[in-house]
Amino acid sequence: MSSESSKKRKPKVIRSDGAPAEGKRNRSDTEQEGKYYSEEAEVDLRDPGRDYELYKYTCQELQRLMAEIQDLKSRGGKDAAIEIEDRRIQSCVHFMTLKKLNRLAHIRLKKGRDQTHEAKQKVDAYHLQLQNLLYEVMHLQKEITKCLEFKSKHEEIDLVSLEEFYKEAPPDISKAEVTMGDPHQQTLARLDWELEQRKRLAEKYRECLSNKEKILKEIEVKKEYLSSLQPRLNSIMQASLPVQEYLFMPFDQAHKQYETARHLPPPLYVLFVQATAYGQACDKTLSVAIEGSVDEAKALFKPPEDSQDDESDSDAEEEQTTKRRRPTLGVQLDDKRKEMLKRHPLSVMLDLKCKDDSVLHLTFYYLMNLNIMTVKAKVTTATELITPISAGDLLSPDSVLSCLYPGDHGKKTPNPANQYQFDKVGILTLRDYVLDLGHPYLWVQKLGGLHFPKEQPQHTVVADHSLSASHMETTMKLLKTRVQSRLALHKQFASLEHGIVPVTSDCQYLFPAKVVSRLVKWVAIAHEDYMELHFTKDIVEAGLAGDTNLYYMALVERGTAKLQAAVVLNPGYSSIPPIFQLCLNWKGEKTNSNDDNIRAMESEVNVCYKELCGPRPSHQLLTNQLQRLCVLLDVYLETESHDDSVEGPKEFPQEKMCLRLFRGPSRMKPFKYNHPQGFFSHR
Amino acid sequence: MERAVPPAVPLGQMEVFQALQRLHMTIFSQSVSPCGKFLAAGNNYGQIAIFSLSAALSSEAKEESKKPIVTFQAHDGPVYSMVSTDRHLLSAGDGEVKAWLWAEILKKGCKELWRRQPPYRTSLEVPEINALLLVPKENSLILAGGDCQLHTMDLETGTFTRALRGHTDYIHCLALRERSPEVLSGGEDGAVRLWDLRTAREVQTIEVYKHEECSRPHNGRWIGCLATDSDWMVCGGGPALTLWHLRSSTPTTVFPMRAPQKHVTFYQDLVLTAAGNSCRVDVFTNLGYRAFSLSF
Repeated sequence: MSSESSKKRKPKVIRSDGAPAEGKRNRSDTEQEGKYYSEEAEVDLRDPGRDYELYKYTCQELQRLMAEIQDLKSRGGKDAAIEIEDRRIQSCVHFMTLKKLNRLAHIRLKKGRDQTHEAKQKVDAYHLQLQNLLYEVMHLQKEITKCLEFKSKHEEIDLVSLEEFYKEAPPDISKAEVTMGDPHQQTLARLDWELEQRKRLAEKYRECLSNKEKILKEIEVKKEYLSSLQPRLNSIMQASLPVQEYLFMPFDQAHKQYETARHLPPPLYVLFVQATAYGQACDKTLSVAIEGSVDEAKALFKPPEDSQDDESDSDAEEEQTTKRRRPTLGVQLDDKRKEMLKRHPLSVMLDLKCKDDSVLHLTFYYLMNLNIMTVKAKVTTATELITPISAGDLLSPDSVLSCLYPGDHGKKTPNPANQYQFDKVGILTLRDYVLDLGHPYLWVQKLGGLHFPKEQPQHTVVADHSLSASHMETTMKLLKTRVQSRLALHKQFASLEHGIVPVTSDCQYLFPAKVVSRLVKWVAIAHEDYMELHFTKDIVEAGLAGDTNLYYMALVERGTAKLQAAVVLNPGYSSIPPIFQLCLNWKGEKTNSNDDNIRAMESEVNVCYKELCGPRPSHQLLTNQLQRLCVLLDVYLETESHDDSVEGPKEFPQEKMCLRLFRGPSRMKPFKYNHPQGFFSHR
Repeated sequence: MERAVPPAVPLGQMEVFQALQRLHMTIFSQSVSPCGKFLAAGNNYGQIAIFSLSAALSSEAKEESKKPIVTFQAHDGPVYSMVSTDRHLLSAGDGEVKAWLWAEILKKGCKELWRRQPPYRTSLEVPEINALLLVPKENSLILAGGDCQLHTMDLETGTFTRALRGHTDYIHCLALRERSPEVLSGGEDGAVRLWDLRTAREVQTIEVYKHEECSRPHNGRWIGCLATDSDWMVCGGGPALTLWHLRSSTPTTVFPMRAPQKHVTFYQDLVLTAAGNSCRVDVFTNLGYRAFSLSF
């Protein structure tokens, strides 16, 4: 079969090759098949399995032939060449067969591939279609959901409720018969109604706006009118000032004062308010004024950066002025001290007028960092006062207000917190600065409403009106009494220095008509001198001779007898009596330690002082005491028992009428004067 | 001279007044209670103060224990003398003698049990009573003072039985002579007079100032204090303190002291005496020398 096929094949091959080259594409397959030997068609007809067998057989034949050729070649011989040639031709035929088989295999492969490819293409096409459809499905689904979710804007509007709608809407909009049944129509109707309402409201709104504009314009006009009024009122007030003065109603002045008062620090403000109130209500002789610079007071409230700038500026200036020298530690400390003791620029001035036209001027200051108030006092009299030498301290600003209340000496700061502040800048006590700053008396703090309780130190002490009010009246009265008693003393001292004890006529009854002992000297002595005297020990030990008192020495004489009297004048005179200590020089030195009668004389002036007070306000106490002292000396000298051993008459004949010269185990002399009988008796 | 100066306390009017009162106070009389626990003291303002001796002398005594338990105004004038019986405190000064119950005296607002005034002659001035003397045997009280008489008062009935006259000036002090009931009185007139209580007459007079050994004219002649031991008597005042033998009325020893003596008492064999304006209590033996002095 192979040789047949190969024979057949050869021409076929030439033909089949030549036919497509010449043929056109138009020719159908059937024509080709009919004319040519198409191997493609042959492939369909042949059985691949048989082809495979053929291939195996052919390979075997080839191997056999080769082996025979090999044999023949190796044996050699002449015949061999023809055998070999024969066999070579057979192998060539086999080679041909193999080639054909190979072609067929290729063709089959190609066909198989083409078929697979076609099928794959179809499948791909379907797959693509499927995907397209799926995609479209998905898309459509999305669209559907979108459509389903769609909310119409009309649902966002809060429509009025159905009942209301049917109530309010006019029938041509609500169209009840149509809308009841059809929700779509109903909603439409409702929307219509909504639109209607909104239109109306918009109208109203426009109207209101225009109204508002109008009214605003009116307000403007009126404002202008009022502002034009203000300067006219001012001018009226100015014009009324003379009328105010004429009628003694200085409203304007008071108003100005209240304006300034707004800048006062709280304690000074409390004082100002309370003092003004008291002056208006109870005491017409009190006048209150504010002094100082309001601008400076305002400047205190500037923000701290400004003040710091000022400080640094001033520091810079200071540096410049001292040129090369830096401010020493002492100067810096000094500045710190000054800063700590700084006063508020405003001060309150109180003027208390007394009956005899003398005036006590009090200026109250506020020390800002220490939170205490101080006062400076000055007394002016209607007529010029000639100050007697001993009266130097009576009215001096430093001491005139000392101990207004017992123990209130005004030399120490009443605020316990200040001590820590002082320690920082090296101030020992405020005493060194009181001359400059004024005295921080306790009553001053109370008038300013400041209370510093000793038991519980408070963090911040706030000015309290009620405290000030409760102390105002008493303090004012005490101040007046103080000034008047000091002035009275002033006058009395002038007389005492001349040796005359000024006893007023309404006190004459306390003394007998004739008083022989005379006051020859009256001087002021220092506290230390008083302490050094030998006959004042008792008073010193009893704690009655403090450094706030004033001390004097009086000398009473009669004949050879000299009586020294050391006087302690308490600032609280005349409610607190002056205390006398006596020393008699006559036939030896007699004091209260060696002569009971001297003691009795002291008792007569010290303990029985109430009889000597005289009519209120008892300014006569001191002079009456001195006069009594003279009387007592008279009695003492005249009743001295005569020493029989000594010859000669008594130096002092007895002129006083006495019932008995001695009485009691201590053999007291009769020192008590009885009025109007005029005799002396014992207590 | 360095002296501790007490700090000046802020003194109001009341404190100053009280301080002055205290400075000028004189205590004239004192008396111990019958139980011995309390001491009554009378001052020149007429006040009587009762002190608790047991508290003040105890080991835990504080400052307050030395202050009076109670003080009250007893008389208008000074309280010059006080004596205690076994139930009463008798005080006298400005012409009256008042009695207080010791049992009641510690309560506030104590009132006097009774008060008596001896019949005085003068009416212009009420004479003071300087000395009180109890005569236990007769249960009577002898008063003497400004009217120069000795009055005896019966303590039960309160009547004044006798008035012994003789002094020419007021009487300072009294002393009782136990054995023969006689009273000695010393006065401003410088005489010590002895009185017999039964007969109510003056028995003996010693004019001390007339004796040169003891008289001190520059001090005066007044007799301030008396003490008697039946045979002996010590008296002093203006004249020097002298020991006398009563029977013979002669001064035996003159005690050497300068200041006029205010109080004197016999104690066993010693003589204790205090001057009043010094801080010492001098103790002497009968022989006249000073043994020692107790000092404040």
